[in-house]
Amino acid sequence: MTELKNFLVKIIITIITVSVLFRISVITSYSAPYDVYNYDKWGEAVPSQAGYSPERSVSGYDLGAGAMDSPADIFYAYDDRFYIADTGNNRIIAVDSGFEKAVRIYDSFRMPDGTETYLKKPSGIYVSSETELMYIADTENSRVLISDTDGNFISAITKPDDVLYDEKRTFMPQRVIADKAGNIYIVLSNITTGAAMFDSSGKFSGFYGANRVQPTAEIIRNYFSSLFMSDDKRSRRVRNIPAGITSMDIDGDFIFTCTASASQKTDIVKKLNSAGINIFADMDIVIGDYAPVYDISQNKLLAPSITDIDIDEDGNINCLDSASGRIFQYDEDCNLLFIFGTNSDQTGGFRQSSSLESHSGRIYVTDSQKDTVTIFRETEFGEIVHKASALHNGGFYEEALEPWIEVLNRDGNYRRAYLGVAAAKLRAGEYRESMKYAKIADSSRIYNKAFEGWRLEFMKKNSGKLALLFLILAISLIIWKRIRKAGKSHGA
Amino acid sequence: MELKLKPFQWVKYAVVHPIEGFEDMRWKKAGSLEISFLIIFMLFLAETAHERLYGFQFYSSYDKIFSIVPYIVKSFVFFGAWVVGNWSVCTLLDGEGTMKNICIYSSYALVPYIMQLFLCTALSHILIRDEYIFLLMIQITGTLWTALLLFSAIRSVHQYSPAKTIAAILLTVFAMFIMLFLMILLLSLIQQVCIFIFTIYTEISVRG
Repeated sequence: MTELKNFLVKIIITIITVSVLFRISVITSYSAPYDVYNYDKWGEAVPSQAGYSPERSVSGYDLGAGAMDSPADIFYAYDDRFYIADTGNNRIIAVDSGFEKAVRIYDSFRMPDGTETYLKKPSGIYVSSETELMYIADTENSRVLISDTDGNFISAITKPDDVLYDEKRTFMPQRVIADKAGNIYIVLSNITTGAAMFDSSGKFSGFYGANRVQPTAEIIRNYFSSLFMSDDKRSRRVRNIPAGITSMDIDGDFIFTCTASASQKTDIVKKLNSAGINIFADMDIVIGDYAPVYDISQNKLLAPSITDIDIDEDGNINCLDSASGRIFQYDEDCNLLFIFGTNSDQTGGFRQSSSLESHSGRIYVTDSQKDTVTIFRETEFGEIVHKASALHNGGFYEEALEPWIEVLNRDGNYRRAYLGVAAAKLRAGEYRESMKYAKIADSSRIYNKAFEGWRLEFMKKNSGKLALLFLILAISLIIWKRIRKAGKSHGA
Repeated sequence: MELKLKPFQWVKYAVVHPIEGFEDMRWKKAGSLEISFLIIFMLFLAETAHERLYGFQFYSSYDKIFSIVPYIVKSFVFFGAWVVGNWSVCTLLDGEGTMKNICIYSSYALVPYIMQLFLCTALSHILIRDEYIFLLMIQITGTLWTALLLFSAIRSVHQYSPAKTIAAILLTVFAMFIMLFLMILLLSLIQQVCIFIFTIYTEISVRG
């Protein structure tokens, strides 16, 4: 009996050791503190290959700039430097492109008269390649400070004295960007009518890109009930105001905005042209997780909150969901490419992610509680997907075929690749193949086109046979009728 | 006119003579319960085929799970509820039809609808999205034809006036709702009882 017991114990110990070893090997080869997933054609999460993996996380000490305090924004500028808004320390840190050391620290700016001006909780930074100027959202000084990259104060934008701008509202810039023409767009906290727009001379010229109100049943009901209310009551109830813009980025002629709101579903991400018209308005796009994520440690559902947006060199859209600590990458047509990141203490996780920036295949995310910048690096798989999707979106479907097939070899769950293959085969005239892939990708639109082509081909090839078949059918029908008639008349 | 038709020929006759067909059937005491059951089975097949075998260019389904229950409900349960509902309503409204005749006549009336389902399913593999209008036309024709036949069937089987027929049909639909409601109620109650028994069984087996 004891022998048996010993034997069993040995077996159990072996199993545990093996499984622990296996687990360790899995972790070391994986190194990300989260499971990588993507969405399948029915909008359900499925395991996927990683497009980005965490490379390292960098603190202020690593950069030789002393500890950072709640960094709120990061920007990669034309002069090959990163600019970090080190909010808690009231300074801007410029970092070299390899993210090894701080090149320069801006904590004060020289005024024209020789005195110094200081920042107070700067939360946004933008450097324009056209004007070669730094634009700093100097939040608690209620101004946007404009200086050159040597730290010489050029000008400042303060609360506009304009009828369009409600005097009672504060002026607290959160984010700032500037376009080619030198127009400056400022995201203000507690302003829901869009970003304040200033022309290059600093004159206020109105608001830009307000969010729409989502037409939910509740709002419609509220509208009807408000028809029967006294003015007094009406003035005291909650008004239907869309959430204001949280952050934005500029890519060529387009300005992308994102909105962090737990309740709002429309206009979470917008692509605005220079007239302020949202190109994504009529596209049925879902940004972030399809279903809210359940967080075990807090025992609550995390409503998505897209706090920052960034457009990379290829035109891909990176969205940061600070509630779940996840980064969602979309291509220029808002097709989901990758999801990565989480809330955790390991490298690749965040406590409070605040902003993101991308540069040459890497994504940099600031964490305002860990006071670090986490660097994610594109994996081999990510590289192939990006190549394929860039070719596909450029209209080079057939050139994109090879990378898409490679993507499928690595991850058979990757829906976007099936769409790409289907489109390429359709372009090449291989209709049967295209139909097959379109069916797997659940795209009845592509299937319809491929089927139309296949049907035409089939008819052309078999037109003789089809005509013959038709003829035989017609003749046999006539003969059959004759026989029946003859039989009937014979019977009667 | 002399009418000597085989059982299957009666189906065709009733379908292509929407106004007088059922009257003649009643006069000749024709109609077979076996064929009626066959038609309902075909309805079940048609509903399933329409859902699962439809051309992919028009439609895509959630392939992860498949349950046959909704199709059983759509065919057998709905038809059964219709027959029982109509019989109970029309017994009170001086209808002359027996349950058997209601079943036969109503099922014969469903033939155009079933044919429409099969035809659309087959054509959906030949047509493309631009030609969807043809499918729609077939669908509307089949459904309206069945509606007309059903009206005519109920009118003949109970020997009603047109107005009374409409009233009877509306009441039947109402009765169907009540029946389905009661069935769902019964089902959930049985479920509760089962859970209760299972809980007691677990309790006893764990303690014992």
